[in-house]
Amino acid sequence: MRKGMLGLFMVLCCGALLAGGCAKKEMVRGEEPMPAATTPAETAPAKPAAPAETARELPKETAPAPTVMAEALQEPVQTVAEAALEQVYFDFDSFALSQAARDTLAKNADYLRKKNPAAKVQIEGHCDERGSDEYNLALGEKRAKAALNYLVTLGVPAAQLSFISYGEEKPADPGHDEAAWAKNRRAEFIVTK
Amino acid sequence: MTRFFLVLTVALLLALPVLAQQDYLEVTAPGGRALQLAIAPPAPLSGSANRAVAGEIAELFRFDMTLAGPFAVQEAPAGEGSSAIRPGTFDFAPWKSSGASLLLKSGYSISGSTLVLECRLYDVTRETELTAKRYTGDLKELRRMAHSFSDEIMRVVTGEPGPFSGKVAYVSTVTGNKEIHLMDYDGFTVQRLTGNRSINLNPDFSPSGKEISFTSYKGGNPDLYRRELFTGAEARISAHRGINIGGAWAPDGNRIALAMSKDGHSQIYVIDKYGKQAARLTNGRTIDVSPAWSPDGSRIAFVSDRLGKPQVFIMDADGKNERRLTTSGSYNVSPRWSPKGDRIAYCRQQGGGFQIYAINPDGSDDSQLTSEGSNEHPRWSPDGRFIVFSSKRGGREALYVMRADGTGQTRVSRGKGSDSHPAWTRW
Repeated sequence: MRKGMLGLFMVLCCGALLAGGCAKKEMVRGEEPMPAATTPAETAPAKPAAPAETARELPKETAPAPTVMAEALQEPVQTVAEAALEQVYFDFDSFALSQAARDTLAKNADYLRKKNPAAKVQIEGHCDERGSDEYNLALGEKRAKAALNYLVTLGVPAAQLSFISYGEEKPADPGHDEAAWAKNRRAEFIVTK
Repeated sequence: MTRFFLVLTVALLLALPVLAQQDYLEVTAPGGRALQLAIAPPAPLSGSANRAVAGEIAELFRFDMTLAGPFAVQEAPAGEGSSAIRPGTFDFAPWKSSGASLLLKSGYSISGSTLVLECRLYDVTRETELTAKRYTGDLKELRRMAHSFSDEIMRVVTGEPGPFSGKVAYVSTVTGNKEIHLMDYDGFTVQRLTGNRSINLNPDFSPSGKEISFTSYKGGNPDLYRRELFTGAEARISAHRGINIGGAWAPDGNRIALAMSKDGHSQIYVIDKYGKQAARLTNGRTIDVSPAWSPDGSRIAFVSDRLGKPQVFIMDADGKNERRLTTSGSYNVSPRWSPKGDRIAYCRQQGGGFQIYAINPDGSDDSQLTSEGSNEHPRWSPDGRFIVFSSKRGGREALYVMRADGTGQTRVSRGKGSDSHPAWTRW
């Protein structure tokens, strides 16, 4: 019907020019519904029993009020294992392991081999905000892999380790100065199992 | 059903044979001065005036025509109150004496939710109509109708339509996560596309504008997805271990170049739009990212740090004949080839942030386009006249548009989050 009308108009109006690009018939559908915001999205799935010291320490660190304690217990239990696995830091636009980073990785390797040989660890590579997003995704991966490979040379089974790069997407410090950038150029060790 | 489809008819009201000759308008007036374009207040075609609608139409035309480049926009001269817009029904004299070369008149009528918008562009000197269109559609399509006439004005004046009725896909943090959104080029009509609450990056339109590719962490790894805009259907097309990022649609619409690290190092590959037939284009042990196609599909610009710091390189689309493009600056990234093929926009790190540059594909005429704040993610408008980019000059990152020569830098996104990673398509 409308097409017919349009055609009629075009004929009436000499049809010298086409009304190009103006009458596409698609429209983007409405917004997706967002998942309910109340789901505890960031809560990790239930973890296997924590090391003995975890059970002792967690209640001590929290206020006595039961509600507060419940929140504390909702935190991923791997916190303690992760706390044992220290982050390593990098220079700008570099994935080279400094001596300090090697020392830290040696401690992490020792912990994983002796204290937690069953743990699965995902190594996250991160960058400061100064590079380009895409370059930083590649650079973050180089950092994660550098840490991973060094752990393997220290005897941690490769099957225990995986990697992911977040580039500059997850800064540890949201600041915009060298102090913040230095904290953000890092590899983090996340116990996934 | 019609609610979900644009019911928009466009009637060509007058088509003057003289238009085809294009001999009466010079894009640049003698001496390089801009063409004086007067915008008459939008008038009701029938019924009573609607101040909100009239104001929105006038403001939109002012915005488009001011950014456009060829024009200096004038308001109506004092005392010019004629609401007549059709040829022969009004007097050109007041417009002539105000110095206008071009006159844009528009009229509207609203019945129920249906809007009729009639737009007419006049050559004031010759007292002739240059083009006229009538748009009929839902009132919600007002901005699209008016932007379409802005495109038409550019077509009449320069021979090529403007990009104003197009859409910009981008990443916004307004929900608290980086989700892909869609907006008009001027920041209106924002729609959220993804809602997966992970990190979503790098939207890029297929040449048809009907699909986007983007990288998402929703599956626990930075994987490449393809999404049909009109159905919302999504497919994961590259999910190799490591990064699958920077997807860039080939001009043929069938292939996507991207950076993957599946073979150990981030390198450039081309896959088909279904994720099959991967071809590896670069073979280094350093970082290669950010592929960008030449508009004829014959070459690909990309970023490599093979010489130490990231620089922009160009290679043939089969990976052969790699050569370095950028030679100034120690950190050059994010190349994007203009739709005309004549320029490559990119970002250079300097002074603790980024600035946008453009360079010829042969390495000549390397020029800086931005200088205020830190500016990233340059992407061309589909006609190559403009560049949309993200800037932190106002504090929080937002999207801006400028002309290809760096002039006219104007903020366009007004969301409450940080906006980045724009991509502009015709619609």
